[in-house]
Amino acid sequence: MSNITLEHYLLISSILFTLGVFAVLTRRNAITILMGIELMLNSCNINFIAFSRFVKSPTTVGAGEVSLAIEGQIMALFVIVLAAAEAAVFLAIILSIYREFNSISPDETNTLKG
Amino acid sequence: MIVTFIFIILICPLASFTFFAISSLMGRKSSRQDLISTFAMLIAFACAFLLFMQVLGNPSIYKVAGASTHTTDWIQIDNVSLPMGFLFDSVTSIMLLVVTIVSSLVHIFSIGYMHGDPRYPRFFAYLSLFSFSMLFLIVADNLLGIYIGWELVGLCSYLLIGFWFEKDSAANACKKAFLTTRVGDVGMFIGMMMLFTKFHTFTLFGENGIFELVNNLESSDLTWLSIAGILIFCGAIGKSAQFPLHTWLPDAMEGPTPVSALIHAATMVAAGVYLAARMFPILTDVSSLFIAYVGGITAIFAATIAIVRWDIKRVLAYSTVSQLGYMMLAIGAGSYVAGLFHLTTHAFFKALLFLGSGSVIHALHVHHNDHDDGHHDDEHSDQPVERDGIPPEQDMRNMGGLRHKMPVTFWTMLIATLSISGVPFFFSGFWSKDEVLGATLERAMESGSAHYYILFFMALVAAGVTALYMFRLIFLTFTGQPRDQGMYEHAHESPKSMIIPLIILAVLSFPIVNKWSVKKYIEQPGQVHNHLAPEHANQFVLYAAAGSADHHDSTSHTAHKGHSPAHNIAMGLSIFVAGLGILLSALFYHWKTFSAETIANKFRGVHRILWNKYFIDEFYDGIIVRATIIGAKIFGGIDKYLVDGLVNLVAIIVNYIVAFLVGLFDNKVVDFLVNSVAGVTWKFGGRVRRVQTGVIQNYLFVILTGVILLIIIFRLLV
Repeated sequence: MSNITLEHYLLISSILFTLGVFAVLTRRNAITILMGIELMLNSCNINFIAFSRFVKSPTTVGAGEVSLAIEGQIMALFVIVLAAAEAAVFLAIILSIYREFNSISPDETNTLKG
Repeated sequence: MIVTFIFIILICPLASFTFFAISSLMGRKSSRQDLISTFAMLIAFACAFLLFMQVLGNPSIYKVAGASTHTTDWIQIDNVSLPMGFLFDSVTSIMLLVVTIVSSLVHIFSIGYMHGDPRYPRFFAYLSLFSFSMLFLIVADNLLGIYIGWELVGLCSYLLIGFWFEKDSAANACKKAFLTTRVGDVGMFIGMMMLFTKFHTFTLFGENGIFELVNNLESSDLTWLSIAGILIFCGAIGKSAQFPLHTWLPDAMEGPTPVSALIHAATMVAAGVYLAARMFPILTDVSSLFIAYVGGITAIFAATIAIVRWDIKRVLAYSTVSQLGYMMLAIGAGSYVAGLFHLTTHAFFKALLFLGSGSVIHALHVHHNDHDDGHHDDEHSDQPVERDGIPPEQDMRNMGGLRHKMPVTFWTMLIATLSISGVPFFFSGFWSKDEVLGATLERAMESGSAHYYILFFMALVAAGVTALYMFRLIFLTFTGQPRDQGMYEHAHESPKSMIIPLIILAVLSFPIVNKWSVKKYIEQPGQVHNHLAPEHANQFVLYAAAGSADHHDSTSHTAHKGHSPAHNIAMGLSIFVAGLGILLSALFYHWKTFSAETIANKFRGVHRILWNKYFIDEFYDGIIVRATIIGAKIFGGIDKYLVDGLVNLVAIIVNYIVAFLVGLFDNKVVDFLVNSVAGVTWKFGGRVRRVQTGVIQNYLFVILTGVILLIIIFRLLV
């Protein structure tokens, strides 16, 4: 079994990001769009964690030693919190839209269009 | 010093006029304009008198024509310069004196005569301007200056003759005077320009003056010079009312009588004689003969018309025309001195006659008004009627016996009449008229030319006729029985302001004053033919060589004049014809031995011609005026129909074609451009707006594509 390297992580992360983008651009359902966004955010988190594991911190690591760069993990935590907050606001908006338009398709919420 | 005095003489009347003009512009009526004007004229008179004293002190200097000039630059255009200046010699001095005396006296007379006229101040302002113009004309040292004064005089005569412009006759008379003199002025202007093109100067005297340069001419230029001289003399024909442009002067009697005195004695008509005298040095044989003939014909022609006039002022008007003819004749006959001498004496006695007639008219006119106010009903039938268009107070058929009512007017007018009639020895007119006749006869004898014998004969007859009509005037007006009792009873002697000028002028009609002033102090300038001495001079035409030589030595010429046989013959004949004239006049109008009516009926044709003034007016009305009107109508028609039609046609064509083209351009080109801009914008906008789908996912897609593209570009570049 070969070692799992940084490239593997980045590959996974890219696939996830692409799927997220695809979801955001193609879905007609606001909730699916939200899920796409979540995918994109989490692919970022994978990147953060992977880099924190594989990249040596220039300040703390001595010669030949492997140490964790804690900044990446902290950023990932921030992103999770942000995603949670975002999901809460997003779902609240979607609820209101549904009440107003009886639909949650972004195509139909077009009353501001000139 | 001379310049200062001349300046004062010019500025006084001008200032008086300016004062009136300014105060009128400011809306205030200068109530004392009469005193201002009179005072200004008196100052001018005083200066003129001092200048005259200057001449008397140095007769030998000033008697040369153009003795003293004071010139200064006026206009400079490229290399043509027109200087302006004053000329002073004995002629100027005498003219200044005559004009200022007569003008002052006319001012004084007018205070009484014009009293109560609604435009009283304006009258005096005009008089002042008139005097200024005449004085300027006299002192100007170049033709241009003379021309300026000349035209100003013309303007003032227009204003003064038409002073009572409410009357149609006065309004017409002033137009007639203005237009008729203008005919002559055109000739004068052409003559001036001929001289200017030849000599490049308007200056008369001095080294570069016309009179000096004229000596450099070739004999072949004589014809040219004659034409120029005659053309300039045309101006004098107009202004001095010579035949055939004399018709304006009798009509000019429509002006107030003091104006008649001023215009027809001292100023306007004298200007023509003055001009002819000033231009004396350039007069050639031909132009001299022309002048002499114009003068001679005018003298006899106007005198005969005067015999049958009933209007007291018209008699004097024709008399003036006739006397001016004498002056012209003298100048044409080559006697400059005689012409100016007669001008001086005539100025005084003719002013006196006019003012005297003014006094008579004033006396009868006041009566006329009283009559209307007082006894309106009972005497209405006695109201004098207007006959032949003559105002009743000017009609001699209404006068008679006024000697008892107006003794001063009578005696002063009698003196003037004796003077103009040429009654010997005690009256100035005799001496000056004798000069004229003598000069003509002398010229005739010297040259042996038939022309001058004819002219002498004409002048002699005119002298007799003059005595006849002048005494007719005196007899009809002052002696015999009153013919209009109502008028006679109300007639009265005029106020002092009118009487005093009459007395002064009467004194000036005695020969001591005039002989003393004129003859001794003027020297005749040489004429051009003396210097040119053409080899092939036609002796028959004018001056014989002997005459020219005699002429050249002009001091002796004037001195021996009085003793020459020609003068003695002329004097004898003139006394004889004057006596004959007076006798005839007395037979007809005083003793009534013969009846004038019978004679008039017997020679009905002659009377009709004289009464209608030789039909000259009718000729002008019938031919010239009518031709002018017809011409004007034809040209007016051409203007109205042909020219206007063409213009309108062009306008229509232009209107349609241009409007069409412009409209087309507007519609097709301009609108197309504007619409295209709008359309392109519209279509482009229509395309571009489709990008804005409103679908967020599309936007996101574009953004993503953009980011990816940017990344690729960035990679490629870095």
